Parts: sequence; structure tokens; C-alpha cells
Amino acid sequence: MKILLFLVSIFLSQFILSAGEFNCGSIKCDNYEADVSDKASLQRGLSTYMNYCYGCHSLKYSRYKRVAEDLLIPIEMYENNLIYDDSKIGDLMEISLSKSDAINWLGAYPPDLTLEARLRRPDWIYTYLRNYYPDSSRPYGVNNRVYQNVNMPHVLEDMQNSLTKLEYDRVIYDLTNFMTYVADPSAEQRKRVGTYVLLFLVIFTAFAYMTYREFKKDLK
Amino acid sequence: MSENTIGKKSLNWVDSRFPIVDLFERHLSKYYSPSNINVWYLFGFLLLIVLVMQILTGLWLMMNYTNTAEGAFSSIEYIMRDVEYGWLIRYMHAGGASAFFALIYLHMFRGMMYGSYQKPRELIWVGGWFVYVLLCAEGFTGYVLPWGQMSFWAAQVIISLVGSIPYFGEDLATWIRGDYIVSGITLSRLFAFHVVLLPILIIAVVFFHILALHEIGSNNPDGIDVKKHTDADGVPLDAKPFFPYDISHDFYALGVFLIIFCSVIFFFPEGGGYIIEYVNYEPANPLSTPAHIVPSWYYTPFYAMLRAIDFSLFGITAKFLGFIVMAAGIAIFAALPWLDRSPVKSIKYKGIFSKTFLSLFVISFFVLAYLGSVPPTEVKNLLTKVFTIGYFSYFLLMPIYTRYEKCKPVPERVGEAI
Repeated sequence: MKILLFLVSIFLSQFILSAGEFNCGSIKCDNYEADVSDKASLQRGLSTYMNYCYGCHSLKYSRYKRVAEDLLIPIEMYENNLIYDDSKIGDLMEISLSKSDAINWLGAYPPDLTLEARLRRPDWIYTYLRNYYPDSSRPYGVNNRVYQNVNMPHVLEDMQNSLTKLEYDRVIYDLTNFMTYVADPSAEQRKRVGTYVLLFLVIFTAFAYMTYREFKKDLK
Repeated sequence: MSENTIGKKSLNWVDSRFPIVDLFERHLSKYYSPSNINVWYLFGFLLLIVLVMQILTGLWLMMNYTNTAEGAFSSIEYIMRDVEYGWLIRYMHAGGASAFFALIYLHMFRGMMYGSYQKPRELIWVGGWFVYVLLCAEGFTGYVLPWGQMSFWAAQVIISLVGSIPYFGEDLATWIRGDYIVSGITLSRLFAFHVVLLPILIIAVVFFHILALHEIGSNNPDGIDVKKHTDADGVPLDAKPFFPYDISHDFYALGVFLIIFCSVIFFFPEGGGYIIEYVNYEPANPLSTPAHIVPSWYYTPFYAMLRAIDFSLFGITAKFLGFIVMAAGIAIFAALPWLDRSPVKSIKYKGIFSKTFLSLFVISFFVLAYLGSVPPTEVKNLLTKVFTIGYFSYFLLMPIYTRYEKCKPVPERVGEAI
């Protein structure tokens, strides 16, 4: 019995230990709650993404048109302002940076970020983008607490320096929110449809239960 | 229904060419199930529904899926984004796989609890076990198809286990992969298994399983043979026709199941990383190994057993030994009918040892499932060994503890006091 108790206590301690691990590199992730129903925030996030990230990071599983429609941006406005090459509105959001150029210039090919928010989770992205710090030992003079020795320069450095902390956090919030949306664009529709499906199922189950109860009476 | 209606006429027309009435009576309206069966007897029906759902959603996924290393990953995203309701079909299929395993584990546990594998239901049990083995293969091959990082590395790890077989293992693994590492060639053959070979086998064995069941009839929580006491027409007294009594219960259960299932696929489709692992949102990359390679939750008890064996024995390598133990963990279910020497079926009437060992089995299964899903540490490794022993002792000691323990008397009829 003592052995059993000992084993149980060791076993439980494993849960507690694993709960304290840091999930954002050397630090704990900040709390982040995405709100993909906030279209204004998604639009601001999209504009930051297109201006600061899209030069290197494609969104190649997503289409311009889908983003325009979901974010309530008129197609013509989108075509005039947010498509930088001769892509059509129905095309995938690919970038013109070639793999060989990227490796020559940057040492690595910047990954596609369509699914980044599903891969690393939104709270990771939010924390990561807010945790660059100066480090003269690195090629770009910056390092990151979440992703040690990351290759990516701090693209938003100028912005961070010119904005207040609160304003900068807001920019990152919107950017992360957009990345959360683009990783799972059907989330809104899914929840809407899901609600109706569950309503139907509750009614179905109620009738199925009444049928079952009625037949059960025969057996008494 | 009067004699001359069109319905009756067409039924007669069909019936004189195909035994439709006879089949309906034999398998539904005059197929009797014990009057004391409980909620544990609902999972078989739900499994059948999930099987149909997997076949239908799989069919629709296949219409848009590309089975090449270059195209697989982006075709999944194409389904998720560009195909109308493609996300729903895909979440149903991915969530359906988890539901399939959750239900089959409950279904198997019912059989273990009430001794449903015992004489004369050995073949029903072995058939069901074979469905489970096929389902494991189906789940594994399906998991590879999205061609994400975990797809690739899970395939790499699992197929490399075959390579641990002495003498010809490496050649066999190469033959299975069709390449020296998991590649597009492996992907397209696993795709062929997943959509053609395995589903056909699963349907065939499920058919066998149900046919064998309908020959003998269901066991029940008391393990009483209800066919012993019949009325003048040969109808069992402690039983009821499947149609409409059980089927109405099954549909009620289906409603409850679908509420749970749809809550998951519409509101938590990734299941916290247990249904769709986050790492799998990165395309397969043979040059970068993920930090932790974890199989889907339904394989983790067996994965833990594999990891428990970190020592070689009698010249057998640790890897091969682990592979044997893992395979034995799955295979040993098939031996249950012959390991159990108890004169009674149900756990209700079995002795204290059966109850203790069944509890030990359940605890071991859950603990191993947890341990198989987390990165190993020294303490966790030790626990894995302890609970692997716990898991196997339920089976291997069964011939002894079931023979010598004191059982309670089983009533002759349902509801009868002893």
C-alpha cells in the first residue's frame, strides 16, 4: 500500500511539473484572446501584414478574394491597394521573393505564414513579436526571448520606437488577430453553422427520447 | 395493410426473388436481445454509424485530395478553404477517427467487463479484435495523408520499427516504404491502403462480426443465457425484439452522441491538439525532426509500451523487444476467450481478483495513454515500466486468478433473486 501511495504521489508530481514549463521559449506566453469577429482589427492586421511581412512571408494557401470578402473590403479597393504584382483577385497570395535569392540575402527561406497561428498558436506569435531586444552579438543587432537567435530581423523596430507601448501592443494584437483569422478562415462560419446543428440535434434527441420512452412502456 | 395495396404487391414481388421479409425478421423484428442490457450495449450501433460517416466523408475528401508529396499538404488546405463545406467534411473525418477509437475502446471494455468474449462468443470477439487491428492500420495510414510534419515523422518512426526485426528487418522496411526513407512513394501506397484495401477488409470483418453476433445473440450484464427459457413459440422470455425496442434506444443514444461529437467538431475541431496535432500544420520536412514525436492519443498506451523497453535481452535489441511488447499489447486481446477460466461471465459475479485486475488494467491503460503522450523523463520511464507490467498482468495472470477465485452464484433468469 505504501508503495502504491509512493507511486501515485510520483505520478501526480509529474503533472504539476509539466504544468510549470515555459511554452514561449525562455518565458511564459502572454495571455492572448483572438477576436476574429472584429473586422476592423482584422483589416488593420492585414494592412500591417501586407506592408511589413508580405515582402518575405507568403500566405500561399489563402486567396486574395477570400480575404477581401471575409474582411468586408470592396474588391476594387483591394485590387488597387493590396495586390502588388500582376496577380488576379482569385489567385493564391504568393510572393515574388525567390527561394535562391532569399537564401543568398537572408541565409534562409522565410516560411509561409498562412498556418502559423495554428502551428505555434496565437499567444506564441503575440508574445514573440513583442519580445525582441537589442543584442549586438547578432547580425541584425536584435535577439528574441521567445525564439533564441532567430534569423528574422526586427522588422517592426521603427514602429516600436515611434509608438507608445500600448499603441505597439495594439498593432501586434491586430496583426496576430489577422494571422489567427487567415490560419482558419472558416472559424466564424463553423461556429454559426454549429449552433444551428446543435439546436437541431437537441430537438432530434428530444423526439428520439420520447420514442424510446414510449416503446419502453411496452416492456414493463 | 390490405391484401391488394401496391406496397404489399411490390413487397411480394421482391420477396419471392430476394428474402427481404425473412432478413428483416431474422435481424430486426424477430432478433431478440436480453431485457437487461444497459447503456454499454449502445456503442456497437454508434460504431456502425461512425463507420458509415467515415466512408462518406472519406469519399468526399478523396474527390479533392492529391496523393503526392508535392500536392498533399496544399490539397488539404484547398479542401479547408476553397471547397464548399470542405472544412466540415475534413473535421468530421478527423474527429470521426477519434470518435471511432473512443467508441471501440468503450465497446471492447464492455466485452471485458461482462465476459462477452466467453463461450460461445469467441469468434465474435476475435472478429471484433480484428476490426480493431484493421482500424489501427486505417488510422495510421490516414494520419500520414495530410503530409504534415507529424504525418511524416510518425510514418518514419512506425515503419522503422519493422527495421528492428533481425536479419531481414531493414529490407522489409525498405520494401514497405518503397524507398530508403518515407517519401511520396510511401504516401501514395499508404493512400491506396487507406481508401481501398483497409476499408474493404473492415467492412467485410464487421459484416462477419455482426453475422456471428446475430447467430448467437447478445450477452448481457448478468451473463445469463436468455435462450434457455423460452415460451411455446421458442421466443426467449427475458428478451425483446431488436426492432423497435433496441433501435429506438439506439437512436436516442445517437442523438446524445451527435450532440457531443458536433460540439467538438464545430467548436473544438482540433480537440486541443489531440484530434489534429498542431505540429501537423507544418508541411513534411525530412530534414527537420520535430522536438517530440507523439502518435495520436488512441495509440499512446502502446507507444508507451514501446518506450518502456529501453534494455536489450537475450541478444534481442531494445527496439525489437519494444516492438514485440507493443504488438503483444494489441494482439493479446484476441487470446482473452482462452485466458479466462472463470465459470461465470460477468464481472458482477466474478470474484475479488477479477475485479482488482480489471481495475488495474483500466488504470494502466489510462496511465500509459498519458505517459505515451508526454516527453519521457527518468521517473516517467519507470512508471511506464510499472504500468506495462500492470497492463499485461491482467491478461497473463487471468488463467490463474479466474480459476481459483470464489465466484458468486449467477441467477437462472433476469431479475431473479439468489
